[in-house]
Amino acid sequence: MDFERILTRYKDIPNYTGTIDEYIAHGGYQALPKALRELEPAQLIEEVKKSGLRGRGGAGFPCGLKWGFIPRDSPKPKYLVCNGDESEPGTFKDRMLIEEEPHQLIEGIAISSYAIGCHLAFIYCRGEFVHGARVLQRALADAYARGYLGKNILGSGFDLDVYVHRGAGAYICGEETGLLESLEGKRGQPRMKPPFPAIAGLYRSPTVVNNVETLSNIPHIVVRGADWYAGIGPSRSAGPRLFSVSGHVERPGNYELPMSITLRELIFEHAGGMRNGRRLKAVIPGGSSAPVLTEQHLDVTMDFESLAAAGSMGGSGGVIVMDDTACMVRVGEIVSRFYHHESCGQCTQCREGTAWLHKVLRRIERGQGRREDLDLLLDVCDNMKGKTICVLSDAAAMPIESYLKHFREEFEAHVRERACPFEGKGAF
Amino acid sequence: MPTLKIDGVEVSVPANTTILEAAKTVGIEVPHYCYHPGLSVVGQCRLCQVDVEKMAKLAIACNTPVADGMVVSTRSPKVEKARRAVLEFYLLNHPLDCPICDKGGECPLQDYTLKYGPGESRSAEEKVQRAKHQVFGPHIVFDAERCILCTRCVRFCREIPGTGELGVFSRGDRSEINLFPGRVLDNAYSGNVIDLCPVGALTSREYRFQSRPWDLVRHTESVCPLCSNGCNVVLDVRHRQKGEELLRIRPRENPAVNRWWMCDEGRFTFQYFSDPARLRAPTWREDGRPVEMGYDDVLLRLARAIRRVVETHGPSAVGCIASSRLTNEELFLIHRFFREILGTPHLDFRVRPVQFQETDASEDGILRRTDKTANSRGARDLHILPGPGGLDVAGMLAAAADGRLKALFVFEEDLVPEFPDRPVFGELSRDVREALGRLELLVASSMFGSETTALAHGVLPALGFGEKEGSFTNFQGRIQKVHRALTPHLASRGLPEALRDLGRDLGRDLGEIEPERVWAAIGEMAGAYQGIAWKDIEPLGLLPQT
Repeated sequence: MDFERILTRYKDIPNYTGTIDEYIAHGGYQALPKALRELEPAQLIEEVKKSGLRGRGGAGFPCGLKWGFIPRDSPKPKYLVCNGDESEPGTFKDRMLIEEEPHQLIEGIAISSYAIGCHLAFIYCRGEFVHGARVLQRALADAYARGYLGKNILGSGFDLDVYVHRGAGAYICGEETGLLESLEGKRGQPRMKPPFPAIAGLYRSPTVVNNVETLSNIPHIVVRGADWYAGIGPSRSAGPRLFSVSGHVERPGNYELPMSITLRELIFEHAGGMRNGRRLKAVIPGGSSAPVLTEQHLDVTMDFESLAAAGSMGGSGGVIVMDDTACMVRVGEIVSRFYHHESCGQCTQCREGTAWLHKVLRRIERGQGRREDLDLLLDVCDNMKGKTICVLSDAAAMPIESYLKHFREEFEAHVRERACPFEGKGAF
Repeated sequence: MPTLKIDGVEVSVPANTTILEAAKTVGIEVPHYCYHPGLSVVGQCRLCQVDVEKMAKLAIACNTPVADGMVVSTRSPKVEKARRAVLEFYLLNHPLDCPICDKGGECPLQDYTLKYGPGESRSAEEKVQRAKHQVFGPHIVFDAERCILCTRCVRFCREIPGTGELGVFSRGDRSEINLFPGRVLDNAYSGNVIDLCPVGALTSREYRFQSRPWDLVRHTESVCPLCSNGCNVVLDVRHRQKGEELLRIRPRENPAVNRWWMCDEGRFTFQYFSDPARLRAPTWREDGRPVEMGYDDVLLRLARAIRRVVETHGPSAVGCIASSRLTNEELFLIHRFFREILGTPHLDFRVRPVQFQETDASEDGILRRTDKTANSRGARDLHILPGPGGLDVAGMLAAAADGRLKALFVFEEDLVPEFPDRPVFGELSRDVREALGRLELLVASSMFGSETTALAHGVLPALGFGEKEGSFTNFQGRIQKVHRALTPHLASRGLPEALRDLGRDLGRDLGEIEPERVWAAIGEMAGAYQGIAWKDIEPLGLLPQT
């Protein structure tokens, strides 16, 4: 299938390094002057609503709608925070956009800030993205020097300052309110909602938190129009999406595609198919928090609705592919170890539940499982879901439930044989 | 006012009330740990989840405002399962060392687990081990294993004293409460974290291992006597072989006075009750040395001495300094005895500079006040002040030094350290000791021997606030009762009895001395307390309408 790459169109340009000159030479920084001169903020919000752009961070919340929640008459300053904390295991597309096309993001931030009336924006950059943060700093300096940021941008009278803030290495700081706490210099733990950030966000002021990829779409919507954008992919999941494909495929990497693509096409046509021609066993389609899918789901399209209908979710777009060498108990152990490590610890169910899941799964994988552990796992998952301040608890429980649902026999075999059947032959 | 239904019970509460508070008004318990009405709401323990009709998920009662027509269930199967789950999660790594835990028997984790929790553990995993007893400060010991991370202590230190010694460190199930580096939990209110802690994680170094809750046979409501704020307290007493012992003082909720809190000084200052150095028997100086003798013997000698002074020099040769540590009832009787029976105008309570102002001041903007006695307001209201032509404390001391004052009664004050070189005492050129030494008769009552009692001819042992019935009036003018928690030592007699018997020896009748009867007389007096009956003063005190 032929598809015009949008966010990663630079990939086709030989020797492109993402400098401001290259970005401008290839059509960059045309959206910002257009937005500032031709569009009122309210029109811009309408345009983004019309485009059907949904958040690319994980929840898929309609971007224009989120912007529209910002009270325009609030006497408080408004903030835009770009969520560049990309921490969802299996996801590595924001990193690429930051490192390879930083000005697309900065232009998106400038336009979005104008739309919501923000004069101070922050890029919360994952702590491990040392190179990315340097690239952003350099790009911001260049954008300031050319008048795309700072006072009176392009003579429009609009002011905007943008800062890069580096995280300190916590998954939970990718959750938008945990991120805001962290940005304020506090312990990174999610806030109770309501109030939502649009009402009381950064420094208790109206705040929009948007993902790197979401914001990178904005210049294209402004230049080419909402109708053009809405026409890409399924109507309710419009626009291009970056899928980070990893695992047992021949060509892992980021693939920019419309969400009308099927899982099968993504894996077998774009990512080169299964490594060594082995059989596909399991796919996590939207980052490690997403429930697992199997061979029978390969024809699902990669839009938010279809993935939800298939029992999983679009999430962050991190597609983790596993062949028949993968032990699902071991996968569960690894995934639950991650959430055990990353739970902020404020809510009881998550603090204790993530640890419990991990310990039980580790025990089963080591051949010390009890028959009752399988139902215990399911009940613990049930006790963790939908009961906490943020969804980390759900994110820890849902995958484990799905592994048990689709691969229960494998868990039972571990208990029965008092050992991992994949021991010595496993992929991990 | 929104009206809603909680477990079928109709409740009307002001808008913005939370479901948890609304349920409380009709006696429905919503179990919770992190929520406390005096602290910010964090919604972390997740135990207070309730089922609200038309809401997909359970809602936390502590942070969900009521709405008109809301239908809430606090015991639907969904709620019960969620609650059981939270309690099971808590117990996964809890040491269950209840038999040796100070909190055992008065522990919300025990109570809720029994009421709502699972009977058995499903966990096969090893418990996480943590540091068992870390000294956090002069009064507080922390057991990290028992902690359920409700963060009440962290929020208390941040929000009430504003000192912020505590924080949560690390994350996930490695999270632990601890002191920030270089800090000590030694703020003036640190003891409140013991009450706030819903488990045995924060315990009192003073009370630790002293008693089980069920050994505390008496929980007496009282008022802290250590400053003019009059924080409401409970005195916990247990019987021991050596007798009754006051083991613990806790704050008692009073929204108008101390809310849920009290300061450490008030909480931890009570060892003096059982101090063996306390004066137990009255003494009379004979041949320059104090001799212990029975009350009646001392009072007879005292009556004789007073009569001699009054007959030789007239009643105005007698003075009385009565501490504002005394109860209203004691002060009233003192006023009656000295002003009416003896007829001297020299009466005063103002020993400290702060007592010369109409009112004292807050020490820290929280609870503590600058007047370190309980009842200056009461003393003022009951006219423990010089009568016409009467001398104040400094005047009495000056008169004693000059030889004009011959007899002085000092009730529960030690004048020597109070008057080293005060401006108020500027007119006295000589040493207080010398002034007191010139008196023909010095009578002092005191719980402990002091420089004043050392100079006195007659010494009467005094009772502490926990050993008597009566009332104090705090700086606001609120009348609050103290009740007897401890039976006084056999040889000690209350000040009212001593004054009554002394009156009798002088051939005069002091009248009723039972606090309730004395109060009846106070209520008949013109002034702040007119028309107030004894029974009106329970249990949070009474602020007279002005």
